[in-house]
Amino acid sequence: MRDGNGWTSAGLLSRRGFLGTAAAGALVTAGGLWLPRAAHAQEAKKGGTLRLGMEGGTSTDSFNPMTLSDEVPISLCYAVMNGLIEFDGAGQPQPELIESWEVAPGAKVWTFNIRQGVTFSNGKTLDAQDVIYSINLHRGETVSQLKGNLEPITDIKKITDTQIEITLSQGNADFVALLGDYHLLVVPDGHTDWANPIGTGAYVVESFEPGVRAVFKNRGDYWKPGRGNFDTVEIRYIADAVARTSALQSGQIDGANRLDPRTVDFLMQAPNLHIVRGEGTGLRYVFCARVSDDPYTNKNAVLALKYGIDRQKIIDNVLNGYATIGNDHTVAPSNPFFNADLPQRAYDPDKAAFHLKEAGLTGSEFRLTVSEGAWVTSPDCAQIFQQSLEPAGIKLELNKVPADGYWSNVWRVDPFCAVIWGARMTADESLTVSYSTASPMNDSNWKNETFDKLLAEARVELDQAKRKEMYATCQQLVSDEAGHIVFAINDTLDGYATTVMGVDKHPRFGMCDLRVAEKAWFA
Amino acid sequence: MGRYIAIRLALGLVTLISVTVLVFVATNLLPGDAATEILGRGATPETLARFREQLGLDDPLVLRYGKWLWDLLHGDLGQSLTTQTPIAETIWPRLVSTLRLAGLTALVSVPLAIGLGILSAAHEGTALDRVLAIGALAAISFPEFFTAYLLILVFSVKLGWFPNLSTIFPEMGFWESLHAMVLPIVALACLVTAHMMRMTRTSILSVMSQPYIEMAFLKGVPRGAVITRHALPNAAAPIIAVVAMNLAYLVVGIVVIEVVFVYPGLGQYMVDAVAKRDIPVVQACGLIFGIAFIGLNLVSDILAVLVNPRLRSPNRGR
Repeated sequence: MRDGNGWTSAGLLSRRGFLGTAAAGALVTAGGLWLPRAAHAQEAKKGGTLRLGMEGGTSTDSFNPMTLSDEVPISLCYAVMNGLIEFDGAGQPQPELIESWEVAPGAKVWTFNIRQGVTFSNGKTLDAQDVIYSINLHRGETVSQLKGNLEPITDIKKITDTQIEITLSQGNADFVALLGDYHLLVVPDGHTDWANPIGTGAYVVESFEPGVRAVFKNRGDYWKPGRGNFDTVEIRYIADAVARTSALQSGQIDGANRLDPRTVDFLMQAPNLHIVRGEGTGLRYVFCARVSDDPYTNKNAVLALKYGIDRQKIIDNVLNGYATIGNDHTVAPSNPFFNADLPQRAYDPDKAAFHLKEAGLTGSEFRLTVSEGAWVTSPDCAQIFQQSLEPAGIKLELNKVPADGYWSNVWRVDPFCAVIWGARMTADESLTVSYSTASPMNDSNWKNETFDKLLAEARVELDQAKRKEMYATCQQLVSDEAGHIVFAINDTLDGYATTVMGVDKHPRFGMCDLRVAEKAWFA
Repeated sequence: MGRYIAIRLALGLVTLISVTVLVFVATNLLPGDAATEILGRGATPETLARFREQLGLDDPLVLRYGKWLWDLLHGDLGQSLTTQTPIAETIWPRLVSTLRLAGLTALVSVPLAIGLGILSAAHEGTALDRVLAIGALAAISFPEFFTAYLLILVFSVKLGWFPNLSTIFPEMGFWESLHAMVLPIVALACLVTAHMMRMTRTSILSVMSQPYIEMAFLKGVPRGAVITRHALPNAAAPIIAVVAMNLAYLVVGIVVIEVVFVYPGLGQYMVDAVAKRDIPVVQACGLIFGIAFIGLNLVSDILAVLVNPRLRSPNRGR
């Protein structure tokens, strides 16, 4: 991002301020100006048509924020709508349509000030009712994937037209980050027509053919200074990686996501292209053993597998080096609470053999299910895993299944299978969703009271140093005991024509956090 | 003849309905449903139940199929489960795209295949025949994505003559659209021409061993005329059948080409719909594919009867 200390700007300051002074009951307000430094760092130029070619969408996409799940529909939504909170280049929450916030001690009651003078594309001015409606789309009688995350909200009250109060059932110091979830997009009160989205974003939809193309026109006068620079933005669905790179090389598109790590080296040499690499910000590649099933109920059996995987060899051979090594938990290395003191688990066939013996197993009890449906290269990763286990005397059986229906047939059904986990913006969310006893997503079925207790305490802990220590212990517990073999976190690889400016890597998603339409400009 | 066509049409209709039943049952047999596929991994049993209720997935299969058929008879293809928009609106441009690509490919490949087949038969056993045979077998043997990538590498990335993205947008003019479609047309033509050409050659040569052909030669008719006037009409039935098969393939079976050249036709639409278990869309696509297959077969059978008088006798028409 712009500078290493970017995260000390408005949003976080307020949270830190709160955390430091909460004991005195002080209320601290976040900065009201919208990322002033971003606008002046580099003068953005207006005009032009940005043409993007993206993977991660299908002909069944819509603008419904409740069912968003892949990169193309999220990008489409961010072109026409805004969120409540935006994450900066360091992954810290910053004000977006929520302009500032105050919090009472205990992190249970939050007051949010809504940005004033922002209008929807239908001419309506944004007010508290719109924000409440947009949050409530994901609560109660809803099909939203975010429903579970918002369960702790017990009440949302409108105080004035520009202020709301949210009460939680239990304190959460990271609540603001939760409001930055990509599902939480703001639409006018009562809006339900997801084929015709209305938002406060920089663009309006000119045409949309799901699975083919979306064209956006600039609304003019975007409320974020220096953003929303293109006259027209065209997002084309290009599912084939070769088609995407060929189109980028021959100048038919100006930007492409999800470049193939095996060929990206060649693209880096092309003088007309600029490759943006987000190290370790992509997906966590996991072989997930369910610790409630034999033989994985035995801790030593899981440890044998964790020591028996040659992580670096998989990263070098399959991912062409474009990944960060994983340490058997899902917390992002860029997260401030990442436990850097936890030693990286190395490939050690002797230790693997030792743990296998401790477990009293012969080494032929393991069967791993993989599929291109988990992630495309998972069968290749599993083959190297299989080879690297051999010196430890473990004969891993591989079971390759079709991609279709993988997540309903295999995941959470098969005791040992390949799984991907996406980036979560806070340590609390990463750990809660994957490893807490109460989480429906806890796929390794690991249940640990000490961990649950520590996690709940850390969530409301006000002292940052203490909090870091607690999360460090949590990561240690997960790495040693849970059933996740997190061997790599892949890099996001995006390519742009050199004329596209302002495209920085982002810790959440590629393509400038999928907001390239509003962030970039032409030189 | 009229009776024959009527019977075939009626049988075609029965086949078509069976196809939709099969597609419907098969899609329902797949694990998961639209609710699990749309809501994804984060879905809870509660949200799934609510979504199923909204989509009407709780109704019994027979009832859902019956409702679909009833709406269809009233000219309504229904709504997509995932986008909640009328299917007819989305499927129409896709169908036009598919037919346009299939039609242009046929326009190039059918005359080419038959011409080369005749040429090959006329020069049976010569160097020309062998070169054509090798070329045809090579074109069939390469997987379609390989041919496609090769074309992209040479003509799009290296030479820059043609775009590798072949999507046609409304704002594009006629020549621009045609220019964009050159590479997929060539790739598909490579695939289907060989098959039709080999069949043409084989059919003609098998007729060539008949006594009446020998008679023609003995009369002193030149070889070219024997083939075009005497052999070809009698060899037409299998050629027409194989042409129809290939045309049907061009309509229903070109998903790979659609993906590689980013040409949004019906194939990709149906694959997406199957992945999301969007049954009404799968049904609509299945219906169109069924019509294409059955219709082309019907046309080929009728044409075969028309060109060959011996098939016209009432006893053979049943």
